[in-house]
Order: sequence, then structure tokens, then C-alpha cells
Amino acid sequence: MVIQRFWLVLGCCCLVAACGQAAEQPEPLRHGLVYCAEGNPESFNPQLGTSGTTIDATSAQLYDRLIDYDAERQQFEPALALSWQALDDGKRYRFELRQDVQFHRTKWFAPSRPFSATDVLFSFNRWLQPDHPYHHVGGGSYPFFNSSGLIHLIERVEAIDSYTVDIHLAQADSSFLANVATDFAVILSAEYGDQLLQAGTPEEIDRQPIGTGPFRFVEFRKDIGIRYYRHENYWRKPPGIRQLFYTITPNANKRMLKLLTGECDVIPYPLVDKLAELSTDTEIEVQSAVNPNIAYWAFNTERPPFDQPLVRQALAHAINRPAIIQTIYDGNARLATGVLPETSWAFSEEDQTYPFDPERARALLAEAGYADGFSMSIWAMPVQRAYNPNAERMAELIQSDLARIGVRATMVTYEWNTFRRRLANGEHDSVLIGWVADNADPDNFFRPILSCAAKASGNNRANWCDPEFDQLLIDAISATNRDQRVNLYQEIERAVTSAVPIVPIANSLRFQAQRANVEGVELPPYGGLSFRRARIVQDNEKAEQQP
Amino acid sequence: MIRYSLRRVVLFLFTLWLLTVFLFALNYFFPGDPLTNMTGIADSSSTAYATAMEQRYFAGSLLEQYGGFVHHLVQGEWGRSLVTERPVFSDGLTALGASLELSLLAMMVAFIVGAPLGIYAAIQQRGLLDRIIMGISLSAYSIPVFWLAQLCILLFAVKLGWAPISSQINPLYDIPTMSGAILIDISISDYEYKQAALRDALYHLWLPVTVLAIMPLTMLMRITRNAMLDVLAHNYIRAARARGLSEARILLRHSIPNSMQPVVRQLGLQFSMLMSNLIVTEVIFNWPGVGSWLVKAIYERDYPVLQAGLLMLATLILFVNVAVELFHAWRYPQVRKELYAEH
Repeated sequence: MVIQRFWLVLGCCCLVAACGQAAEQPEPLRHGLVYCAEGNPESFNPQLGTSGTTIDATSAQLYDRLIDYDAERQQFEPALALSWQALDDGKRYRFELRQDVQFHRTKWFAPSRPFSATDVLFSFNRWLQPDHPYHHVGGGSYPFFNSSGLIHLIERVEAIDSYTVDIHLAQADSSFLANVATDFAVILSAEYGDQLLQAGTPEEIDRQPIGTGPFRFVEFRKDIGIRYYRHENYWRKPPGIRQLFYTITPNANKRMLKLLTGECDVIPYPLVDKLAELSTDTEIEVQSAVNPNIAYWAFNTERPPFDQPLVRQALAHAINRPAIIQTIYDGNARLATGVLPETSWAFSEEDQTYPFDPERARALLAEAGYADGFSMSIWAMPVQRAYNPNAERMAELIQSDLARIGVRATMVTYEWNTFRRRLANGEHDSVLIGWVADNADPDNFFRPILSCAAKASGNNRANWCDPEFDQLLIDAISATNRDQRVNLYQEIERAVTSAVPIVPIANSLRFQAQRANVEGVELPPYGGLSFRRARIVQDNEKAEQQP
Repeated sequence: MIRYSLRRVVLFLFTLWLLTVFLFALNYFFPGDPLTNMTGIADSSSTAYATAMEQRYFAGSLLEQYGGFVHHLVQGEWGRSLVTERPVFSDGLTALGASLELSLLAMMVAFIVGAPLGIYAAIQQRGLLDRIIMGISLSAYSIPVFWLAQLCILLFAVKLGWAPISSQINPLYDIPTMSGAILIDISISDYEYKQAALRDALYHLWLPVTVLAIMPLTMLMRITRNAMLDVLAHNYIRAARARGLSEARILLRHSIPNSMQPVVRQLGLQFSMLMSNLIVTEVIFNWPGVGSWLVKAIYERDYPVLQAGLLMLATLILFVNVAVELFHAWRYPQVRKELYAEH
């Protein structure tokens, strides 16, 4: 009898607990969104890096740019600059700035004035002027601005009045606006910079960031996550969610499981082979978008034997790229026919790659004096990128292809940030990596990854520098006629093909999976992810069914 | 007792000293600059590097350098991480808090569930339940933790949805990290949704605690059962029965207290084993404790963090073992008498 009563009471307790849980979710969960990011950001200032992980985590959330690029309508649109015009035959650009734009108000900074021309000068001069007090803070290397040539293109930035800025260029450049609209050209707060200088802690500017963007920074714990709160005084419509949390989840399998259990609302780079499985689940939606990217295999052309074009051509002949596409991308990618992807306006159908031909590869190796082969390392990224969902598996495939021509390859991998640092030091023989364009200009596929400037800034993974090739790039960028430019880019493609500093492998789609009740997190064709329009659809029907 | 305690404490200090010598030597064995490995200051031309060089007597002999090393260690100046450039000591403390919470809860569960089950099995010796309990314990004991954790995640989190896969709490609950132990952090915070956060934390906590508790639980169960059987065979139990004491009284007053003696002695050893399982569990459940911190540091060649993680785990294991031994000797005087043949 007593025992029966005990069970009754216990049952009631369970029932109450269950009902309690089914009741409406607490406020933080209803108005918050969890994004399971694939890695830690390198810093909170996109000016300092080119890693897609950092851009996705910071740029569109914390900051605004002078102008934005609307990929759908293929035109620039006003952001912090209301209007802009080219003067002096395209050698000077004038930007009229927006008024009443507020910076973030946080525990460590209270802005006393809205955004003005001072902030534009501060942000641009930080990477432009080597004697700027902040130039060397955070490493002093600005890979995007170096490799895109913006650092040399801009002569100076001048404030005409509080809300007018003139940018003087060394020569007319058709890619200037496109570069200013990228995720790297963000606007920082000059007032915050001054405050930190006085406090003697300038490095905090990239760790406790202040911007004008839709979210303000709250905290970052390495390997755990980043917390953002909505910027209530945002000059556009503030976001529909109050809190945004980036959970660091490098394991792709775990990311997918966490999406299924609802611990993640949105995940990047879901596993391609599990995509079909995910799509049938009605609670999960999978998005894919054409992404201007290229996965390639770069040879460190400074190290023998990769300094010989013959060896590089042999290796290019040795790998079975169609098999790689089939295995790694599961049909979600296109075999690259050159460096430029199909979506670029300078693309041509002409195949500029080396066919799979082990016999020819062995002959070329013998010609180069390596008839018995050699040993080499293949560095494989530890993270999934849009252009390469599984670099380690790809390295294994290449390894077995190379074994057939007598080349013994070993795979090397490190944690992502360490990996990038060591690559920049040129410690690799060859690396499987790739590039996602920051803007629609074809120049963005060559200058940031294959120019001498890119080599200097450590972004040229092939460590390849050819002055003639650089001249071709400059010719292509100074030409104003589009047909002329298309021809020049074809010539550039041919130059890459004959020298083979890199072997283009694939252009792939970018995937993202999310819970069905999340809206407004679209995959951008260029640049980083934005949560500005994100919204959680409240599940009112479900709540009503519960007593 | 005093002599015994002194010996234990001296042994403890001696082991700690050996540990610091080992850690100090590691700085020279790791690749790269020893001072960078120690302090995490990578830029050898900076003023911070020069100051650190002076403070740690790097111009002097190895002995002086070791002195500087221990001095900084004791003061809690463990340098900065090579990756995050954050102070290692404070990051380590919160990681330790998270680890302690998990391991102590697991130890508690193991003891509270394991010991009674062992006693029960002993009373029912060779009965059906005894065989079932022992059978389950043997099979549970032989499952490696990394596999068990994955299985539990697949079953309870993915299939049944009874638990989340990872982390301490739903990250949307903005609980400031103070001690690292999530239950304590929630309790001392003035967060608006404290109740909900606490529920959520428990919801996240139960699976890793269970996974971690299984191994020591099965061990404790077996040890308790054997100890209990041993005690039950003694003459004083028979004498108690002969005097007509009730079975319950014999159990509660005579056999259980005496059988706990070998069990308590095992607790220290079990804790050491728990620690190695803790590292695996933390990595699998993304628990922000010392274990996952250490593993990350190994991946990233973050030498200051690596040393700190080693030091913390080793000190914790040593400390718990010594504490258990001291308690054991204090609670069961016959043990230390046996040790020194005193009467």
C-alpha cells in the first residue's frame, strides 16, 4: 500500500516536471540563436587576416563598411557612406558619410560621439600608414590589403569635413570599389583607439572590439564560444534576435548531431554524404549556394624539387582529379578547368589543366632527373571549407596516386591557426588549400594568391613570384574595357597553366544546414556570413497544444 | 598518527618537488626558447621578454633559474598561453573548477550507488541478483570510456533526446564564469533566469557524470562485495548472531562499518583512474575542464598551458591520494598499527 502510494507521488512529480519543461521556453532561448562555428577566430578584426572562419565570426556582425555589394543586383549599395563619386578620371573617390551612426556601448567603452570622418581615417590609416600608432598592433600584417594591392593603390585618405572623405589613388583602378566593399575594409572607432592608447593597452582593440555593426561583442572563450548581443541603436533595423552565440565545434560529425538535437540552430559545412539524410528531416533545412571558390594543390616553389616546372607538371599529371571530385565532393562540385570558376565573367570553357596521365608523369619526372621519385609532404587543412570538405581524405587519395609514379608522400596537419602560421612561414612542400573570392572581380582570384605581394604577406601558398606574371596582373587591372580584360585573364590562366605553381582541383557549392524555425541567415555569394536579418519563428501552434 | 601523517606529507612534498623539477626540465626539452616555453612571451626583442629574463634569473645558473621558476609558480604567475596570450593560471583555475565539479559528482555517484549495490550483492551471495549485479559490473567495467561515451550520446542524446551532446549549459544562458563549476557559477550569479539555467545545467550534467561514474562504480561495487563477504565470515559476526542481535543491527553496526575500510582505501586509487577517464570524457563532451584544455594544448604546442595542465592534474591526483590515505589512517587505527607493527 505504502509502496503504491510512493509510486503515485513519484509519478505525479514526473508529470509536473514534464509539464514544466514543455511550457514556454525561457526568454534567452526564445530570442537567441546558436551558430556552431567550425573554428576559433584568429582575432576580432577582419583587417588582420584572410581566414574565412574569422570573417564569418566578426565582419558582418561587429562592423560596417563604407559601401556594401549587393550580389543579386550586382551593384554597390550605400552603407556607412550615403553616396560616392569618382573624380579626377577615377584617381579620387569622394564619399559622403551617413550621420547619426552609433558605435557599440559596452562595459569597457562608452562612445561620446557618433561615427564621423575621423573614424574612416583611423580605420584606413591603420593599415595604410606604417607610422600609424596602431599599424604594428596585432602583428602589423594586413594580408588582404597587401595582396589585393590596396595598400599601394591608395595614396592618402583625406577628411574634407566631418562627413566627407576623399580617397586619393595612385592610378585609376577598376577593382577599387569592389575592394572597399569587402569584409576586410571595416570601420573601427577612432575614439576607442585613443582611449586604449592612453590606457596603454592598444592590443585590446582587436580583442574587445567596438564597431557600428548589428551586434556588440560580449565575451570570447577560446574553444567554447563567442557571445554577441544585439546593438539596440543600430542604424539599420536592429536584428530580430537579441543574442547570438558562436559555439566552437570543429568536428563536422558532432556539428551535424548537435543540429539534430537542437543544440545548434545553424551549422556551416555539413557533411556532404549525410546531406541527403538531413534533408528528409522536416526540422532541418539545407541551403546551398554557388560560391566563388577554388580548391587547389599548391607547391612550395622555393623548395627543391618543386622549383622545377617539370616536376610540378609531372605531379599535376599524376593525380586523378575526377576521382577526387567523386569521392570528396560526392558530385557537389565541378572539376576545375582553370583558376577562375564558372561564375566569373572572365571564365572561358577552354580546359587549362593537366589530364590524368601517370605514364606522362613518370616520363616528366625522369626528364627532370627524378626517375626514382622522391619524398614529399602534403599538408592538409584540419577544417572543412566551402571549397574542400575533407582535405585529409583528399591528401590520402593524392598520396596513393603519387605512389604510382614513385613519389612517397606523407600527410601533415596541425590545428587550423597553427597550420596557417606555419604555411605562412613556408614550412610545407605542398598544401591542399583553396580560396574564396571576396568580390566579383576576377583579379581577386589571382592577385591575393599568386602575386609577389601575396608572397610577401604570406598568403601565396606556392611562394611563387614572377615579375612578368605580376605585370600581366597589373595590365589586366588597369584595363577598363571588359572584353580586353577577359582576354588578359585568359592569358593569365595560360601563364598559370604552363608554370603550375598550383593545380586547380574543384569549384564547389557552399552548404549550410539550419533548423526550420530560423529565417534570414542566407549564404552570401561573396564574403562572410551575416546574422543581421536572422529571426527565430516562434512556435505558437506547438505551445497552444500543450496544456 | 603524527608520525604517519608527517611521513605522508613529506612524501607528498617530495613528489611535488620532483614534479616541479620535471616541469622545469621540460621547458628545456621542448623545442624553442626555454623562456618562451615558460612565460609564453614569444617576441624575444620585447621589453616584456627582457623583464621576464631578469625576473627569472636567466642570466644566472640553472639552479638560480630553477629558483625563479618555483618562485613564480608559487605566486601563481604561470605565464601566458602562446595561443590566446591570456594568463594561464586564471584560465587553469576555471578549467580546474569545471573538472572538479564533474569528477567529484561522478565519484559521489559511484560511491552512493556502488557501495550499497556491493553490500546488497554480498548479502545475496550466489543468489540470482548477486550474479546479475556482478555480471553487469564486469561487462560495464570492460567497456572503454571513449566508446561508452559515444554509445551513450547516440542513444540518449540523438535517439531519445534526453540529454544534449556537449558543453556545460545552453550557451544562450549568459552565466558569468567565476569558478568554472557551472552549478556554483549559477548559484552565485544574479542571473534573471536562475531556475531555468540550473535545470538546463543539470540536464547537461547527468550524462557525462554517469559515463564517468560507471568505471569507479563497478570497481567499488566489486570491492565492497568482497570486503563485505570477508567481514561476514569473521567470528565476531557469528558471535553477534549467537547473541541474538537482529540481522539489520549486525549489518548496520558491525559488518558495514568494518567493510568500508578497504573501500575507503580504494577511493584514492579510483580517483586516479577517474582522472584519466576524465580527460577522454571532457574531450568527447566538450567539457571546458583541465582535460580538454590539456589535450588542446598538446595539439597546439602551447607549452605554458601544457605544463600548467600537467601540474594541475598531477597535483590533484597526489593531493587526493594523500588526503584519502590520511583519512583512512585516522579513521581506521588498526591500519597504521599494522604498518608500523605498533601495539
